Amino acid sequence: MLNNISLGRYVETGSVLHRTDPRIKVILYIVYLIAIFTVNTPAALVALSVLTAVQLIAGKIPAGVIWSTVKPVLPLTVFVFVINLFTLKQGNELWSWRFLLITDTGLCRAVLMSARLLFLILCTSVFLTLTTTPLKISDALESLLSPLRIIHVPVHEAAMMMSIALRFIPTLIEETDKIMKAQQSRGADYDTGSFVSRVKGYITVLIPLFVSSFRRADELAVAMDVRCYRGGEGRTKLNPLKITGRDIFVMVLFLLGAFLLIAVELLSRG
Amino acid sequence: MADAVSVKKVSFSYKSDDGGKPYSKALNGISVTIPQGTYCAVLGPNGSGKSTLAKIIDVLETADEGSVTVLGFKAGEETSVYSIREKCAYVFQNPDNQIVGTTVEEDVAFGPENLGVPLPELRERVDEALRYVGLYELRGRQAASLSGGQKQKLAVAGALAMRPSVLILDESTAMLDPVSRDELLNLVEKMNRDKGITVLTVTHDMNEAARCGKIFVVEDGRVTMEGTPAEIFCRPEELQHAGLEMPQDVSLVWNLSRIAGEVITEDDIRDERSRIKTAVRFVSSVKTAPKPPKRRAHAKGRMILEVQDLSYSYDSGKTYAVEHIDLEVYEGEILAIVGRSGCGKTTLISHLNGLIRPGSGQIRFYEEDGQVLTTSRKKDIAKIRRNVGLLFQYPEYQLFEETVAKDIAYGLKNMKAPDINLGLRVKTAAQIAGLSEDVLDKSPFELSGGQKRRAALAGILVMKPRVLVMDEPAAGLDPIGRRMMFDTILALREAGTTIILVTHNMDEAARFADRIFCLRDGKAVVTGTADEIFADEARVEECGLSMPVLRGFSGKVKNALAGRFPDVTFGPSLPDPEGEAVSIVRSVLHAE
Repeated sequence: MLNNISLGRYVETGSVLHRTDPRIKVILYIVYLIAIFTVNTPAALVALSVLTAVQLIAGKIPAGVIWSTVKPVLPLTVFVFVINLFTLKQGNELWSWRFLLITDTGLCRAVLMSARLLFLILCTSVFLTLTTTPLKISDALESLLSPLRIIHVPVHEAAMMMSIALRFIPTLIEETDKIMKAQQSRGADYDTGSFVSRVKGYITVLIPLFVSSFRRADELAVAMDVRCYRGGEGRTKLNPLKITGRDIFVMVLFLLGAFLLIAVELLSRG
Repeated sequence: MADAVSVKKVSFSYKSDDGGKPYSKALNGISVTIPQGTYCAVLGPNGSGKSTLAKIIDVLETADEGSVTVLGFKAGEETSVYSIREKCAYVFQNPDNQIVGTTVEEDVAFGPENLGVPLPELRERVDEALRYVGLYELRGRQAASLSGGQKQKLAVAGALAMRPSVLILDESTAMLDPVSRDELLNLVEKMNRDKGITVLTVTHDMNEAARCGKIFVVEDGRVTMEGTPAEIFCRPEELQHAGLEMPQDVSLVWNLSRIAGEVITEDDIRDERSRIKTAVRFVSSVKTAPKPPKRRAHAKGRMILEVQDLSYSYDSGKTYAVEHIDLEVYEGEILAIVGRSGCGKTTLISHLNGLIRPGSGQIRFYEEDGQVLTTSRKKDIAKIRRNVGLLFQYPEYQLFEETVAKDIAYGLKNMKAPDINLGLRVKTAAQIAGLSEDVLDKSPFELSGGQKRRAALAGILVMKPRVLVMDEPAAGLDPIGRRMMFDTILALREAGTTIILVTHNMDEAARFADRIFCLRDGKAVVTGTADEIFADEARVEECGLSMPVLRGFSGKVKNALAGRFPDVTFGPSLPDPEGEAVSIVRSVLHAE
C-alpha cells in the first residue's frame, strides 16, 4: 500500500525539456510563475493556454499523466471558482436567487482565479516534477543558491541532506511495511477500531521506525566519513551541470514566450 | 614486504554519551601486524573488540594508548586521517546504510568526488569500478532498487573507485545469501590477487575465515591466537574457549581423530586433499566400533497447516512472487524453507498468518477439534494469527514499548483473552526465549543485539503459537548466539511447537529440519528430507541450492574410503560432524 507513494512523479519521455539543464528550468519556472500572476485579461489568458499547451507538447507529456496531475487539484479549483463566483458583488447582475448573486465581474474573476490555479499546477509539473528528477532539482538549487555561501548559508549541506532524504525514502517505506507486518503478526490492527485506537496503533510503527532511522543516520554518517566526505569544499561532480547551446536556445524561446504573454496582458489592459 | 597495517599495544574504550565514565576497554593492548597484499580474517565472539580494531585502523576511532600505522601514515596525526581513509576502504555490514548516492553510478562516484578527482578521470574510475564488480549495466538504476548482494557489490565498487591499498570488510557478508556471499568473496579475493589489495575481513563465518591466508582471533580486546587457518583450526579447546567453532569439514576430521584416539595437527588439515587423506588414515586405524549415533525419531504428526495452489503477484499479474505453491506442514516437525534471496520466501511466509491474502489458492489451518480455518475468510484471520506466530528477519527492530515485559505482553494484550495471568505468561515466554528475568524491567533499547532478538522471540512465544515461522532467526549472530538460538528452537519443538524455519544455511537446514522445502523464482522445486534433497549433487545445483559443507566433504571422504575398502556400503549421511564420523567408522568396520 505504501508503494504507491512516489515523490516528484518524474516521467521519463526523453524530450527536450527533460534534457534541459535543471537550473534553466528553475529560472523559467520562476519567470512563468510571475507571468501567471500578472495575467488578468481574457486575451492574456488565451495566450497563456497556448503557451502551456506548447510546454506540454515540448515535454512530450502524455495526456494520461496531465490528467492525473490535474485531477487531485480539481476539487480545490472548483472551490476557488464557486467562492469567487458568489462572493463578488460588483458589476452587473447576471443571475440571482434569494441571497445568491452572480455578477459578470464575479464570473470573470472566478474563471481567472481557477484558471491560474490550474496553470500553476501544470507549470510546476512541466518545468519541475514531471521532467526533472528530484536529485537534479536539488543540484540546480545548490548551484543557483551558491552565491549565498558568502553570507554563510550552508547551501551544499542543505542540498546533500535533500539528496540523502530522497535516497532513503524507498528504504524507509520498505522498513515501515516490514514493521507493520511484524506488529500485525502480534495482533496489531491498523484498519479497524476507533480513530484514537488507530492513532495509538501507529505508535507501534513510529517508535521502531524512528529508532532505526537514528541508527541508519549514525551508520550512514560513519560510511560517509570513511569515504572521505568533508563537506562541499573541493568536491568534484560525476555529472556536473553544464549549459549547452541547446539549453540557451530553450531558455530564450521560453523567455520570449513569457515576455509575449506579459506584452499581450499590458496591451489588452490598454 | 612492507607492512600495510601495524597496530602496536593499542587500548581503547568507548566514551559514554553523557560524558560520564568510559565503558570497559574494547581493546586492551592489542597488537596486529598485517603485511601488504595479505588476505586475513579477524574472528572473535560478539563484544570481543574485533570491529573496534577495524575502526581503529581506519581512524574512525582514535586509540587511547599505543600506536597505529597504516601504509606508512601514523594515525592520530591530523594530516594523516584522510590519507589513511583514502587508501584504506571500508565496507560495512548493512547494505542499505552505506549507500549515499541515489543512482548506482553516483554512489560509486561519492568517494572520488570527495577526493576532488576531476573529470574525465572521475568517470573512468567509476566505469572501471562498476565493470570490475559487474554492475556496469545497472549504472543508471536507483541504488535502493538493487538486491542485497548487488548493494554490497556496489559498496565494494565505491571502495574500489578510491583506488585503495587496503580493504576492510566489517561483517560485510553477514546479511547475504550463500550464493551472493560466495560471489562477493570471490570478487574480493580477485582484488587481492590481481591488484595486490590487502584484505582484512571481520567475520563470524568459519568457512569464510578458512579461505583466508591468516586469521587473528580476538578475545577481550586482545589477540589470543594468530596463524594460518590450519594452525588455528587444529586447536579445538582454544577455539571453544574463544567462542568459535571449526568449519564443518575440519570438525569431521577432528571427530574421526577422537574415535581413533589421535590428535590432529596443522598439516592434517592444511588443504582439502590433506583433510581427506587424514580422514581416511584415522578411519583405517580404528579397531573397535564406537557406539551407534542416536538418530532422531521422526514420527509424522497430523497435518496442521496447508498451502493449496497458492499464487500471488505484486504487480497485478505481470510477474508472480509465488506461483502454484503446494505445501503441507505436519504437527511437531521442523520444516526448512530454503532458496536464494528474492525467491519468494518472504511472500510465502507472509501468507501463512494472513498478512498477505492469497491472490489465488488457499492457506488452511487445522484446529485440534477438526475445525478448518483459512486466511481467505476475514473472520478467521485473528484466530490464525494466534496460532501461527511469525518472526521476521532481524526482529529486534520491531521493539517499541517502555519495558521489555510490556513489549513481550503486547501481542497477548491484543488478543484480549480473558482470565490469563499476563505476568506469568510473560515470564515463561522470556524464560523459553533465553532471557533472564532481570532484563524484563529494562528498556528494550538498552539490551544487546542478541538479547533484543530474544525479546522479540518472547513477544511471539507469549501467544503460545502452535506453529512458529522464523525467518533467518540466527542471521548475524556469532557462533555462540547461533547455537543458543537453535537450542531454543529444538526445545520448542520438544514442547510440541511446529517450526517453519527459513534459512540460507544449508548445513543448518540439513541438521535441524525434518523436511526441506525448496523455492526457486517463486516456484516449489523440491520437497523432502535432507537425504533426499542432497543425495544428487547435480540436482542440488539445478535447484539453485548449495551442498551443505559437511555433506560435500564427507562425500569425498567416503569416495576415498570406497577406493580403499571396496566392500563398504555407507548408510545415509548424518547432518552433524560427530554422528557422521561415527557412522563412517562403523560402516568401514562392518565391511572389514
